[in-house]
Amino acid sequence: MGDLLRLVLKRLGYGLLTLLVVSILIFFAVEMLPGDVAEQILGQGATPETVARLREQLGLNQPAVVRYLQWLGGAVQGDFGISATSGDPVMDVIGTRFVNTLFLAAYAAVIAVPVAIILGIIVALLRNTIFDRVANVLTLTSISSPEFFLGYILILFLAVKANMFPAIANLSSGMDLGELLYRTFLPALTLVLVVTAHMMRMTRAAIIALLSSPYIEMARLKGVPPWKVIVRHALPNAWAPIINVVALNLAYLITGVVLVEVVFVYPGIGQALVDAVSKRDFPVVQACSLIFAATFILLNLAADVGAILTNPRLRHPK
Amino acid sequence: MSVFVIGYYAALICASCLAAYFNYRKVFMMVFSLTLISFVLGIIGGVPALRNVTIAAGMLALAAGVSYAFREFLIQIAKPDLAKELRTAPLTASFGMFVVFTYAIAGIFAPWIAPYGEAEVITSAFAPADRDMLLGADQLGRDVFSRLIYGARNTVGIALVATILAFIMGALAGLLAAVKGGWFDQVMGRFADVIMSIPSLIFALLMLSILGPKIWVIVIVVAIIYAPRVFRLTRAVAGNIVVMDYIEAAKLRGEGDWYLIRREILPNSTAPLIAEFGLEFCFVFLLIAGLSFLGLGIQPPTADWGSMVRENATLISFGDITPLIPAAAIALLTVSVNFVVDWMLFRSSGLKEQ
Amino acid sequence: MSKFSKKDILLEIEDLQIQGYSDEQWVDIIKGVDLTLHRGEVLGLIGESGAGKSTIGAAAMGYARDGTRISGGTIEFDGMELTTASEAEKRALRGSRIAYVAQSAAASFNPAHKIIDQHTEAPVQYRIQKRLEAQEDAMKLYEQLRLPNPEEIGFRYPHQVSGGQLQRAMTAMAMSCRPDLIIFDEPTTALDVTTQIEVLAAIRDIVDQFNTAAIYITHDLAVVAQMADTIKVLLKGEEVEQASTEEMLENPKEEYTKSLWAVRSFKREQKSRPTDGTEPIISVKNIDASYTGSAKVLDDVSFDIYPGMTVAVVGESGSGKSTVARCITGLLPPSKGEILFRGEPLPPDYHKRTRDQLRQAQMIYQMADTALNPKVQIHEIIGRPARFYSGLKGSALKQRVDELLDLIELEPSQYYNRYPPELSGGQKQRVGIARALAAEPDFIICDEVTSALDQLVAEGILRLLDRLQQELGLAYMFITHDLATVRSIADEVVVMQNGKVVEQGPKDEMFTPPHHPYTDLLLSSVPEMDPNWLTTLLEERGVDNVGESADV
Repeated sequence: MGDLLRLVLKRLGYGLLTLLVVSILIFFAVEMLPGDVAEQILGQGATPETVARLREQLGLNQPAVVRYLQWLGGAVQGDFGISATSGDPVMDVIGTRFVNTLFLAAYAAVIAVPVAIILGIIVALLRNTIFDRVANVLTLTSISSPEFFLGYILILFLAVKANMFPAIANLSSGMDLGELLYRTFLPALTLVLVVTAHMMRMTRAAIIALLSSPYIEMARLKGVPPWKVIVRHALPNAWAPIINVVALNLAYLITGVVLVEVVFVYPGIGQALVDAVSKRDFPVVQACSLIFAATFILLNLAADVGAILTNPRLRHPK
Repeated sequence: MSVFVIGYYAALICASCLAAYFNYRKVFMMVFSLTLISFVLGIIGGVPALRNVTIAAGMLALAAGVSYAFREFLIQIAKPDLAKELRTAPLTASFGMFVVFTYAIAGIFAPWIAPYGEAEVITSAFAPADRDMLLGADQLGRDVFSRLIYGARNTVGIALVATILAFIMGALAGLLAAVKGGWFDQVMGRFADVIMSIPSLIFALLMLSILGPKIWVIVIVVAIIYAPRVFRLTRAVAGNIVVMDYIEAAKLRGEGDWYLIRREILPNSTAPLIAEFGLEFCFVFLLIAGLSFLGLGIQPPTADWGSMVRENATLISFGDITPLIPAAAIALLTVSVNFVVDWMLFRSSGLKEQ
Repeated sequence: MSKFSKKDILLEIEDLQIQGYSDEQWVDIIKGVDLTLHRGEVLGLIGESGAGKSTIGAAAMGYARDGTRISGGTIEFDGMELTTASEAEKRALRGSRIAYVAQSAAASFNPAHKIIDQHTEAPVQYRIQKRLEAQEDAMKLYEQLRLPNPEEIGFRYPHQVSGGQLQRAMTAMAMSCRPDLIIFDEPTTALDVTTQIEVLAAIRDIVDQFNTAAIYITHDLAVVAQMADTIKVLLKGEEVEQASTEEMLENPKEEYTKSLWAVRSFKREQKSRPTDGTEPIISVKNIDASYTGSAKVLDDVSFDIYPGMTVAVVGESGSGKSTVARCITGLLPPSKGEILFRGEPLPPDYHKRTRDQLRQAQMIYQMADTALNPKVQIHEIIGRPARFYSGLKGSALKQRVDELLDLIELEPSQYYNRYPPELSGGQKQRVGIARALAAEPDFIICDEVTSALDQLVAEGILRLLDRLQQELGLAYMFITHDLATVRSIADEVVVMQNGKVVEQGPKDEMFTPPHHPYTDLLLSSVPEMDPNWLTTLLEERGVDNVGESADV
């Protein structure tokens, strides 16, 4: 087990290092601004006094490195400083929104992951039939369409024309789960469509790539029936790529959600980021970027660790 | 039972009988299952549902016909080698090529095709479609059709420039890393990892919030975001080639890196690189469209599909499809490019599974 | 054929035709082959690559690989017609009544499951045995096949077991349902000679013991002579001839068969070292080498190569023979020791060598497919070194390329503008030789140059290399695991094992006893064309003292 543990630890260490580098990148990107953040936020009409006050408020009088360390220290404890436009702590602005985003992503993932993997296996079993060809065209279309296209189509047909689901996902506290699921159905469905198509294709590809290996031919020549060839002989070896694609898509669910949130006016962190970018509210932009990047890195990390753990050669060393 | 319904079923059943008689198993299965589905649909949705099915089938048939004719056209004008390849293209791929071709024409000749200028206000806001304005007017009274044509030039053009830039940076770095190996390879690999570990849309938003939504900023930021992906692929493709004995032979002959890249590696990696270019273009195009949709990409009054969706989005709640048209234009192009890429990847991997 | 009576026919194939899909059309790969197999009979199918032997083997199970289809003829297995049987009927035969042993056991065992779980899959599926009974049975079979720790070895994963053992485990797996017929598809080709023996012995024992019929597919005549009762020779999808093993070996009828038998006859005069004090062209002095971060691959290796002579470096996989070549070319700088070229030390790293030093030592590779860039025309492949080193241009360059093509016996006008994928294996190898010659070297390293080629083609390459040596006075370092090649072309032999030189000297001395024990093991393990060779050898060594288990 020593080898396995070392590999996993190495991967974890590498993930943390990447996270650190990314945080540096996010923090110091803002330093590239001509002048400083305070001037940028207030614009040209600002008086020197107001600029100085904001500078004081943002702690801009200290050297960048010190501010970075303070920012990072705060971020680890969930404190991202003060929003430049509203004056509230950043955490208050994005805290509940982040929870909402996670809810939407989880909602979509719970539907998409099992459906995609099962459909992927079925399509691999039926490869090169009409069914497979049609599935290929449909999934390709779904991946290639921008999220807002799918979103608006769903709104047009399911909300405006058929009037089955609400077009705008406004949430209020005190809604029960059923109500919540009903109101967020369309954004979740949009995400499901995009993500399922992608995962399905990758699952199919991962399985088919294995079908030409000698041990699959061996299984066939042992008289193993086709479904068992896939489930028992191909699938266990396809876990690594499948786990990878699932993680990648979960990461996408959390970040790609930005566009969907805007389409459905969903109160998530993506909307907050877009608002902050147009208002140039840098503390919020930095906080959102860091949260998104961290989720992304952690999920990729989980995928790699998963792939290491499911590799029989590593799990059972010589 | 209307004449339409009787004709509908008669046509389907005739077609399935003919297919069965001439032993086209796949066609028969498709047509006959459509007949069965139609029974159910007809009961649930009535005549309108069947009409929709007819329209959809007609459009599919039209698309298939266009694709078939366009493939024949390409085969006729192409050189023998290329023509042989083209013969293997499925209809989806030739449909993709047809769409790309159409967009290219629209983009290049936009000023001549579009009836009005891209920022020209000609009528009242949201005026309905008439003979002069094929698709009606937008929220400022500009002709949607003209803006769509100009959008082909602006949106696609910017995405193309960004992709080319990303490709030059990524592919060059990838090839050099594969040939040189050692620390250069390591450093470039780590650098690519870091950039790729920030989600692309988030990275773009961060940089645009700092540098402002100017076209050159968009092009460069997007190119930087996607260059690492190209780098990874090129590195992987070239990595499979540099272990070949003919590379070792060339190295032992004393050939320089540039010779290795130009004469030994590139000729063997063109197929995957071209396919990757298509894929990258789709990503870049979708990212730029997404940024524009959020109002942080290409700025008005430049006609751009992403911002056109955003500007007309409110119409959707009245059941008007105007905002869907530019969105569909985006989807159609990415789908088409993906169809072509899918075929090329299939050809170059030479999948053995029959 | 007196041994088998007519009513015992198990498998009868008549006028079998199989097509393969390539370049958008179906081409015939098997063109009407008949085959009759009786219960308990072992039929050897031999032929060169592309003869279709493996395809026929799969067809005997009613199986057509992806991209092939059975287009005509009949396959009757024990009264059941396989070409018209349904997929489910055929599947019911596979594993239970017809079993298959693949070439590479390492690739054919599923890495995700334990060996014994794969073993018991078929008997449990066919409800022949319960799981535990099947496991018991597996252990018995492992014991009969002389696998170490038969009780325990099945519970390992495939990557935890060595290649020779895996191949035996796969034979055991094929036996799990006690089939009537086993197809052996080149089961020992991927193994070293010393490992090959134990697998051969195990297969022969078990087939005898259960009186199972078998089709044994191989390209190695000596191997098939040990295993088969009857031999069928194939060429390009057609039968050449069929006879009992003794008759086939003593008295082949067809020209093609005779030529196959005669391949190993090529032999040339052995040269000895110059005595006039000429310096060796390459002198390897006490080198150690290791790949980054791992144990030593070479340990104190020294030998000399004199001008105009051929030194064969022999050893099994992992002996370090190819690493020596990498050290000489400078791809892997040795960690200790040095390499002298005509008495002058060569810089250890090839980057630091002068263009002339690089020119002097050329290399010919094992896999001609990967040694030639598929996207470059032949004249460019051969012309580039000439232009690079001698600065030839225009018509002088063309003349030189023509000259080189003549030298390797390829018609210049025909091959000048071709691309490597259009050439056959032997032609590609010739182009590889021409590329080495274009640099006008004094010394060429030949890395297993003939092992990927069919025997007749390989012989042609050896003859060509020999002629070139005489005409151009080249020195060769011949890396090989094939002692037949050594016999035919070497002047001196260096035997390597585990990174060390075990023994070296002139060829005639090396091939006459007394030897170093390892050389002895190596020499005696090479199958001979005598059907009784394996039996005799096993008697000499004793069954428990074969191959891997024979420690030296």
